[in-house]
Amino acid sequence: MITGMLLRSLDKGSYWFLGLLGLIALLVPALHLLLPPESALHVPGYAVALMGKYLCYGLLALSVDLVWGYCGILSLGHGAFFALGGYAMGMYLMRQIGDRGVYANPELPDFMVFLNWSELPWYWYGFDSFGFALAMVVLAPGILAFVFGWLAFRSRVTGVYLSIITQALTYALMLAFFRNEMGFGGNNGLTDFKDILGFSLQSDTTRTVLFSASAVAVGLGYVLCRLITRSRAGMVLAAIRDAESRTRFLGYRVEHYKLMVFVVSACLAGIAGALYVPQVGIINPGEFAPANSIEIVIAVAVGGRGTLIGAVLGAVLISYAKTWFTGELPEFWLFALGGLFVAVTLFLPKGIAGFLIARWQGFKDRKSAPGTATVANEGPAQ
Amino acid sequence: MYCLRFLLIPLLCALIFTSNTSQPAQAADLETALSGLAEKSFKARLKAVDDIAATQDERAAEVLDALVKRQLFITKADGHIVLPDPAQEGSYLFAFNGETAGDFSKSALKRVKINNRMRSAVRKALGTLTLGSADRNRRLAAARSIFNTRDSSALELLDGAIAKETDSRVKREMERARAAALLASDAEESDKLAAIDVIAPKANQDALALLTQVVSNDSGAVAERAERAIAEMQSALALWATAQNVVYGISLGSVLLLAAIGLAITFGVMGVINMAHGEMVMIGAYVTFVVQDVIRTSMPDLFDWSLLIALPLAFGVTALIGIAMERGIIRFLYGRPLETLLATWGVSLILQQAVRSIFGPNNRLVGNPSWMSGSLELGQLTLTYNRICIIAFTLVVFAALFVAMRKTSFGLQMRAVVQNRQMSAAMGIRTKWVDALTFGLGSGIAGLAGVAISQIDNVGPNLGQSYIIDSFMVVVFGGVGNLWGTLVGAMTLGVANKFLEPYSGAVLAKILVLVFIILFIQKRPKGLFALKGRGAEA
Amino acid sequence: MSDLPSSVLYLDGITVSFDGFKALNNLSLYIEPGEMRAIIGPNGAGKTTMMDVITGKTKPDSGEVFFDGAVDLAKLDEADIAQLGIGRKFQKPTVFENQTVADNLQLALSGVRGVLETFLWSASARDKTRIDELLEIIRLTHLRDRMANSLSHGQKQWLEIGMLLAQNPKVLLVDEPVAGMTDSETVETARLLREIAENHSVIVVEHDMSFVRDLDVKVTVLAEGSVLAEGSLDSVSADERVIESYLGR
Repeated sequence: MITGMLLRSLDKGSYWFLGLLGLIALLVPALHLLLPPESALHVPGYAVALMGKYLCYGLLALSVDLVWGYCGILSLGHGAFFALGGYAMGMYLMRQIGDRGVYANPELPDFMVFLNWSELPWYWYGFDSFGFALAMVVLAPGILAFVFGWLAFRSRVTGVYLSIITQALTYALMLAFFRNEMGFGGNNGLTDFKDILGFSLQSDTTRTVLFSASAVAVGLGYVLCRLITRSRAGMVLAAIRDAESRTRFLGYRVEHYKLMVFVVSACLAGIAGALYVPQVGIINPGEFAPANSIEIVIAVAVGGRGTLIGAVLGAVLISYAKTWFTGELPEFWLFALGGLFVAVTLFLPKGIAGFLIARWQGFKDRKSAPGTATVANEGPAQ
Repeated sequence: MYCLRFLLIPLLCALIFTSNTSQPAQAADLETALSGLAEKSFKARLKAVDDIAATQDERAAEVLDALVKRQLFITKADGHIVLPDPAQEGSYLFAFNGETAGDFSKSALKRVKINNRMRSAVRKALGTLTLGSADRNRRLAAARSIFNTRDSSALELLDGAIAKETDSRVKREMERARAAALLASDAEESDKLAAIDVIAPKANQDALALLTQVVSNDSGAVAERAERAIAEMQSALALWATAQNVVYGISLGSVLLLAAIGLAITFGVMGVINMAHGEMVMIGAYVTFVVQDVIRTSMPDLFDWSLLIALPLAFGVTALIGIAMERGIIRFLYGRPLETLLATWGVSLILQQAVRSIFGPNNRLVGNPSWMSGSLELGQLTLTYNRICIIAFTLVVFAALFVAMRKTSFGLQMRAVVQNRQMSAAMGIRTKWVDALTFGLGSGIAGLAGVAISQIDNVGPNLGQSYIIDSFMVVVFGGVGNLWGTLVGAMTLGVANKFLEPYSGAVLAKILVLVFIILFIQKRPKGLFALKGRGAEA
Repeated sequence: MSDLPSSVLYLDGITVSFDGFKALNNLSLYIEPGEMRAIIGPNGAGKTTMMDVITGKTKPDSGEVFFDGAVDLAKLDEADIAQLGIGRKFQKPTVFENQTVADNLQLALSGVRGVLETFLWSASARDKTRIDELLEIIRLTHLRDRMANSLSHGQKQWLEIGMLLAQNPKVLLVDEPVAGMTDSETVETARLLREIAENHSVIVVEHDMSFVRDLDVKVTVLAEGSVLAEGSLDSVSADERVIESYLGR
């Protein structure tokens, strides 16, 4: 049955996309590890980490597209789920430091020693175990999304109201994580990680493995999103997006569908955050900043919402642009980003992918008889 | 008055010092008393302080004041006690008569050293010395100082001062000081009970401390009465604290209201989420900065008027930006609220960076005009004038807006568009103009808010960011399309914040308020004052 | 309460007010199984609010709503009520614009509604035949794979009626089905509704008198939130109070 569902939900574009992901998952590590540094094709270590970071943003964008593009829930707080996943991973990495910290305390992370804490807070228990940390990477954002979504969707908070309270959610979390008393390192967050599963985070091999893992995660996330959106449940989601109350009058429990897709999306975002942290080496409350969440939303809009692939490409594109601008023209980055927000909403409401799909469709329609083929489910209503 | 004092003081002193054996028997003259300060031992110098106070010389207070401020020196050459001449740097005056002693270099002088015991002796002495001052405020301060030091030796001095005091407020303070001094002495129980009754009616921390000490020192009826007074006082103080919280809350609420009200208008009328609203506030604050900068360099006399000049300018600049935004971007996005949100966020980034590029990333200094500095004291309440001005300004803006919405034809058209856009258009209202002007109005009010906020907050490129989420919370909480809702929402959130702060700290209070709103939205998804019925569905 | 078991819908003493304005005022209405009822009334008479109460969109301030004699509708929400078998067609045609005609019908098709079920669901042969049948009935077979947003206004109305049929409800609430339709479309729609009424209870809210005449069923006249008159179209249109409420003000 699963193969049947997979076959049903993947199209030609999907295979191309997954193939491409598989290719870079193998090619980038190979170019990094096998070629000598002086070769023109050699990929330097920092570039591997950078691309790994882009892929994490890609996965985050995928999760945003799932709720926004397919169910019309514009979350301005997905950065919170990303950051929670990141913190869960960060806590595991913190525990791995052991007594190699500045204070060489085998029991407590440096920042707790610094704050004169005598014992580990209860919510740090279990993070010595990689398995437990992985579970929390998914559970922490998932449970938060469940509670928040259950409250919000049950009382039918929709549209801009929902967007604003998701923003308030991540803002509140940011304020909370800035507090030292929370026990997550306050301002500085968690950093100075040494190794993961016993492998040094500085080594080339670990870095490439993390990179490949990110690529695989994006691929799996994509397949999961396709499975959901191509099923009848996906049709219901699109129906909710386009005419929520009509869907209700057909007997669908709209809040259940929204909750399901919101929680799945939050879990994906959490996984993205967990992959992000070991590659950048730090997680701090800044990741909760509302601006981060909005940035990823605009990445989805640029790439084309409701297309999944477009969202990933948008995120990679925007992240790359950010790296380039902050290196070359730091003054102009916000101008460029702001201009992009405006331009995309005004001129490219379906994003790059939506634009290309429409072009391709027009091309096909002109070739074949008009009005037969359609792109079901692609592109939301205006 | 002056001669009266001269007659009375020796008499009073005689009374004091005969009754208290620890004090020197008779008053010496200031010069002799001062010479004691040159002694090596602290004990001798401590005695010198008492002697100086005992002279009741009119210069004694000044000299002792200089002593605690470490401004009293001994000339190394001939051992005179001198203090710096306030009129001329480097020049010194004789301490005993205030006449010029000549110029001295630092190396020719030795500072009169003072320790904590001397310091408290000086403070005590100053209290008694200044009771007779001709300056009402000094007498008041002296009474308060005695109240706090509970110097029982000042009792008789106080009795005399009370007898000739004509100012009722000062008299009351002196009576309280006398009661405090009496409680510290070994007076009769009945006197002490009466003293507690004098102190009990006015609740403050000092009185509370005093009574607490009484409870620990005395026993029997006095301690009991003091305990009762403490209980009463504590409940009175709690009431004052509540009042203070309410006032602070209203002050915060009016800032929130000012920031949110423009947003409420654009959101209410057009259903448009303007994420750049905070930047309009920021620009309003920068307009104030520019106005003050120009005034400072070219016409400093006008500085006190700078805010009044900035208000119309800020309104104009931000309103124009708002109208430009509406015409250039937002009108293409009607009916797509989520896209509008993103586009206006983009605008906010551009505006932030523009301001950063022009004015630099650091905070700029915006000054308070002189009429806004200082504070007002009401019982236990302290209110700074700039807060009062902002509350008043907010109310004026709110009232003006309210009248504009109710009484002008533009207001009528605006309300019509809120209720039914198509119908309004059909009736000949130019909805596009209403939209543009509404947006301009909302942005303009944000600019006004910026002028006000420049007086209490740092003016930097990120100013807007810190207000936008709060403003949204106010609008969401209060309900859309209802000015009263915004008012009540802002005030409730402001007061709630201030009440939580003492228990949880400012950051946690903010978090709690956010969580509360998130939960509140579950109960009333459309806010406190929501439109009901068919209109609400649109 | 004695006539409860025989009524598929039972509304008694329903009052709904918005900010002091009484949209429904002590309204009572009984619909028998298999009955088709037309509801008419001037604007603001409370027709749409009545439908909102039956379908759970609006909760009554007072009064009772029962379905099938036993189920208290005031305690349920829209999805529950729809799953019980009460279908509704809106005044403004609302179909899922970005999905094909066939997908619209498939979404409406009775059966799976839960999240997991729909995730694992795949169309059975029976579902496919049922959709083909429905497409026949609403005459949209040739537009099967068209996106719903490319349909004409009348076609959307029919698609929505088709979706109602796909739900296979016991009661259909139809709000102004012929608004904005051409004459021939109107006649077609009347035929369609009569066909449906053969094995469903139907409540039709309509302004168009000639359409109501075409339906030839019992008519209830609403005014200011309560029932003004009930009976055949001829008898109610002769009623003094009805004439007054339509023309008097």
